[in-house]
Amino acid sequence: MLSVLLNSPANTTINYLPIVIQLVVAIGFVAFMMSVTHLLGPKRRTSDKLANFESGIESVGNARQPMAIKYFLVAILFVLFDVEVIFFYPYAVNFKALGKEGFLAVLMFVAFFLVGFIYIRKRGALDWEE
Amino acid sequence: MILIITASIIGVVLLFASFLLKHTSSLLHLVTVLFAALFGVAIWEALQPTAILTQSFYLDAIRVDRFTNQFNVLITGCLFLYILLMKKHIAAVGKYKAEYFALIAFIMVGIFMLSSFNSLLVMFLGIEIVSIPQYILAGSDKENLKSTEASLKYFLMGAFSTGFLLMGITLLYGATGNFMVSEFNFLQATSINPIALGGVLLLIVAFGFKVSAAPMHLWTPDVYDGTPTPFTAFMATIVKVAAFVGFMRLFQTSFTAISSSWSLVLAVVIALTLFVGNITAVFQQSVKRMLAYSSIAQAGFMLFAIISLNAIGRQGMLVYTVAYSVASICFFAILIKMKDYTYDGFNGLAKKQPFIAALATIYMLSLAGIPLTGGFMAKYYMLKAVLFEGSYMWLAIFALLMAAVSVYYYFKVIIAMYFKEGEAAMIDSFTKEEKLYLTIGALALLVVGIFPSLLTGTI
Amino acid sequence: MIQYSYLIPLFPLLGFLINGLGWNKIPKSLAGVIGSTSILASFVVSLAVFVEVLSPSFQGPFVQHYFDFIQSGTLYIPFAFQIDALSASFLLIITGIGFLIHVYSTAYMHDDEGMVKYFAYLNLFVFSMLLLVMGANYIIMFIGWEGVGLCSYLLIGFWFKNHAYTDAAKKAFVMNRIGDLGFLVGMLLVLYHFHTLSYQELFDIIQSSADQTNMYTAIAICFFIGAMGKSAQIPLYTWLPDAMAGPTPVSALIHAATMVTAGIYMIARSSVLYNLAPIALDLITWIGLATALLAASIAIKQNDIKKVLAYSTVSQLGFMFVAIGMGAYTTAVFHVITHAFFKALLFLGSGSVIHAMGGEQDIRFMGGLGKKMPITKITFLIGCLAIAGIPGFAGFFSKDEILAHAYAQQPLLFVALLIGALMTAFYMFRLYFLTFTGSFRGTEEQAHHLHESPKAMTLPLMVLALFSIIGGYIGLPKVLSEKHWLHDFLSAAVTEKELHELSHATEWMLMGVSVGLVVVMIALAYKATQKAQFSAAKGLGKVLEHKWYVDELYQAIILTPLNHLGVFLQQIIEKSGIDALVNNIGTSIQWLSTRVRLLQSGIVGSYIFVMVLGIILLLSIGFLSTIL
Repeated sequence: MLSVLLNSPANTTINYLPIVIQLVVAIGFVAFMMSVTHLLGPKRRTSDKLANFESGIESVGNARQPMAIKYFLVAILFVLFDVEVIFFYPYAVNFKALGKEGFLAVLMFVAFFLVGFIYIRKRGALDWEE
Repeated sequence: MILIITASIIGVVLLFASFLLKHTSSLLHLVTVLFAALFGVAIWEALQPTAILTQSFYLDAIRVDRFTNQFNVLITGCLFLYILLMKKHIAAVGKYKAEYFALIAFIMVGIFMLSSFNSLLVMFLGIEIVSIPQYILAGSDKENLKSTEASLKYFLMGAFSTGFLLMGITLLYGATGNFMVSEFNFLQATSINPIALGGVLLLIVAFGFKVSAAPMHLWTPDVYDGTPTPFTAFMATIVKVAAFVGFMRLFQTSFTAISSSWSLVLAVVIALTLFVGNITAVFQQSVKRMLAYSSIAQAGFMLFAIISLNAIGRQGMLVYTVAYSVASICFFAILIKMKDYTYDGFNGLAKKQPFIAALATIYMLSLAGIPLTGGFMAKYYMLKAVLFEGSYMWLAIFALLMAAVSVYYYFKVIIAMYFKEGEAAMIDSFTKEEKLYLTIGALALLVVGIFPSLLTGTI
Repeated sequence: MIQYSYLIPLFPLLGFLINGLGWNKIPKSLAGVIGSTSILASFVVSLAVFVEVLSPSFQGPFVQHYFDFIQSGTLYIPFAFQIDALSASFLLIITGIGFLIHVYSTAYMHDDEGMVKYFAYLNLFVFSMLLLVMGANYIIMFIGWEGVGLCSYLLIGFWFKNHAYTDAAKKAFVMNRIGDLGFLVGMLLVLYHFHTLSYQELFDIIQSSADQTNMYTAIAICFFIGAMGKSAQIPLYTWLPDAMAGPTPVSALIHAATMVTAGIYMIARSSVLYNLAPIALDLITWIGLATALLAASIAIKQNDIKKVLAYSTVSQLGFMFVAIGMGAYTTAVFHVITHAFFKALLFLGSGSVIHAMGGEQDIRFMGGLGKKMPITKITFLIGCLAIAGIPGFAGFFSKDEILAHAYAQQPLLFVALLIGALMTAFYMFRLYFLTFTGSFRGTEEQAHHLHESPKAMTLPLMVLALFSIIGGYIGLPKVLSEKHWLHDFLSAAVTEKELHELSHATEWMLMGVSVGLVVVMIALAYKATQKAQFSAAKGLGKVLEHKWYVDELYQAIILTPLNHLGVFLQQIIEKSGIDALVNNIGTSIQWLSTRVRLLQSGIVGSYIFVMVLGIILLLSIGFLSTIL
């Protein structure tokens, strides 16, 4: 079989056979291990065992509670400004190459963000107490 | 190009207008002035001596050509009409009055990008700038559960379709190593690269979603129905037409050479769209929902411009832009005053408001494509384009049959207004200005119906 | 002045627009003034144009191109007017007699509530007729042709509250439409073969290629079918006698100045074509002759004053067509002109009588009216003398010319026409004697009411009577004058066929015979009117009284089968075939709608599922169709 593989001309379907074998082995291994542990492992179901592990502290109530929208708002706004900062990295690398025009473009970009920032401040999106 | 900047500035100004202007009326005056200015800028730009040339901006990422300028004028004109007719109702939707107008201005930015992109990146940006504010507009009536539901559904499915769009762009980039739409013509040399084909087909899917073509149309009725009516009027007309222009721009500049490999798919999409849109609209009881389905059906016709890939199709697109947008916007402006959105709500309108009923009749006739109205010319150009192209005779015949079906549900409104007894209760009366704008809309439809060359002449 | 000829149709059009748009605002008296003035204005212009055409410096037809009416591919129809001897003479008749009829109408229609509308229609009628005559191509003529048909419908059914009148209007319209179809087919044939409908271009082509006789015959016959409808020839003549349902001045307008002369004009205009189609000319002769005799025989037994006149018109039109059939187009036009004078006179006279009688039209209830209405009586007598062909009066010259041509062509034809002419003399004088002489046979009330008509009515009568006398002197026969003025005038516009010449002696003899016999017929008519008129007719008389049962015949062989076919189509094909099909399509679409609607479940998950399925389908179509 190996000889067949080696002697076959390049770039035919048979060349991909090793990859297929690799795939089958990988999937087979995972499936085998999971099912074996599932079947062989001992099972003791107590309430303590089934409870969430909270670093040793006893869990209180349901985790799926409605949370203040402010929390999400702040999180999303953080992501926004975070992304703004990420844009500076490529700009910093090309600072000299982009020259004056690039500088103006980035200035405009920052200005738009600033406008947005002023808007959310005025709307009170960042006032936690309200 | 100046148009994009103007629209952005208008958006920012409106964003802060809410802090400065306390009275709704002064806000509405500002809105009128700003959007009139936008219209003015569009006209000014189209009148430049360079407007008939193709100009490129930003490393060729944006290309403004003659069609772009013509389309921009028409779409800002429709927008201005929309603002004039709807501003009062937009301000009445919820608390954040100025923000709604700002969002509309930002959507216009995206629309101008869609009508002038040359890079797939700009196209993607355009589509997203158009889409995201729409999710917000759909949910702007926060007290109303249906509005929230519409917003969520639209967002979920919109995000889903964005995935297809990005995947399509990725595959195209992978196959060609290029983002520039105008560079894709090298595809014609090779036999079809399956990766590129996959990209093209996924783009059909993604754009099909945006223009609500079957089978990607399922969001449309729910979203249009749940969205506050003033915004439905905007989404179903101006935004949709803009998505079409983007669709057409991409496919006509880039994929003409390989049209044989995707036009069958598009033909199937068109046939499905026409079928589902028209057939489902027949059974609807609510006029608003009927209009949602009719917008799907009209999309089927507009897709002809993309499958036909010729100048007649481009002309038809311009005629359709005006005929469809104006008729729908004006009819929505009447619908919004009705207490009852079902057909029965229109019973006896002709006796109570003969003038309004006559105008509504003109809009319905135009949507149904009856001669002497713009809607007829729009359909005529589309059919002519596809027949000129040659290979999809069966599609044209099918479209005609479906257009006949559409007459049924459009005329149901006319029948309700003229031949049925009823109250036709209104929540609000029409002011003189509104009547004037509605009349202008009706006249525009008639003028386009008789002299379509006014719009298409220079292409 | 000739370059202003567009004013001629413009004035009546303006009159129509003013009266038509202001029908509920304009007072009645003003409407009459507007209507009459507009026609007078175009008469004045026509007169100026005519004078210019008459002058020796006038060369050939004057064609004025106004704008491109139709331009589509190779089809090119300009909107242009053509002024030459033929159209100028018709213009004069139409506007001149039209004006007199308008003036007459101001008095006649004075008590009618729809007077403004009436004048609007009347102006439109004249406008259409002017368009018909002035057009420089068949399309413009056809527009006028159809306009005339429409106006005749509107005016015949003017008193639309009377059901019989609207039926008459419909009959006129339908009969005319049948003829129009022939005209239309003829025009399409011309267009198909010669690619032009302009008179001059077409006739140039025809004259340069005279060998396509079959095609010319086909076109000529199609045109003649059109003329049959407008000019009331067998078999399409039945509408004209019924058309007297309209107000009497309208009848005068239809019978004298407009409408029925259209057919003659059209064929005279196409003389070049007809000269090359001898078969068509023969057909015209025979149909004209048959119409002349049939209508004259019917007129003998009619008792309605207007019906007699109507059949006399049909008969006289038959004479004109015989003249055309012989190729004597100018003679036909000559008879059109003289006939226009005396027939307008007779109709307006009868209108005057009806006016005096309070709407009564049956001559058996009249008699002795001459004492109360001297002007009407004398003018009517002049009209009768003219139509009967008494020497010195207009009708004599034109009719004699037709008879002379007939004799030269075929003596038998002459005999047949002479019989027709004699019948004409008989029924006209029967009408005259019954109406104006003897003793009054109507009711007491009517006798009390009898009066001479107002000036506005008698003045036109007098003018027309004058022209009924002198109108014939424009075409004196060869024996009296070397120069036939009308013939020479028209010869520039109309191409005559070569006609046989009669010797002077023969012509004198023919005149003598016909005049002598006519006088005998008048005497016979006087005798016949002395008997009681109310006895039921028997034998041939009854057949004549019932108009040879032609209407009944049409009813039996055309209408009844058509009605049966209609009932069959409506009951069987329509109800259970087409209706069922249409309804089933409708219901099945609605049913389909209820099914497809279910796709819209409202659940996002299922939406995405359907969407993904659809996308998989689309992708597989795309890939399979490309690869396979």
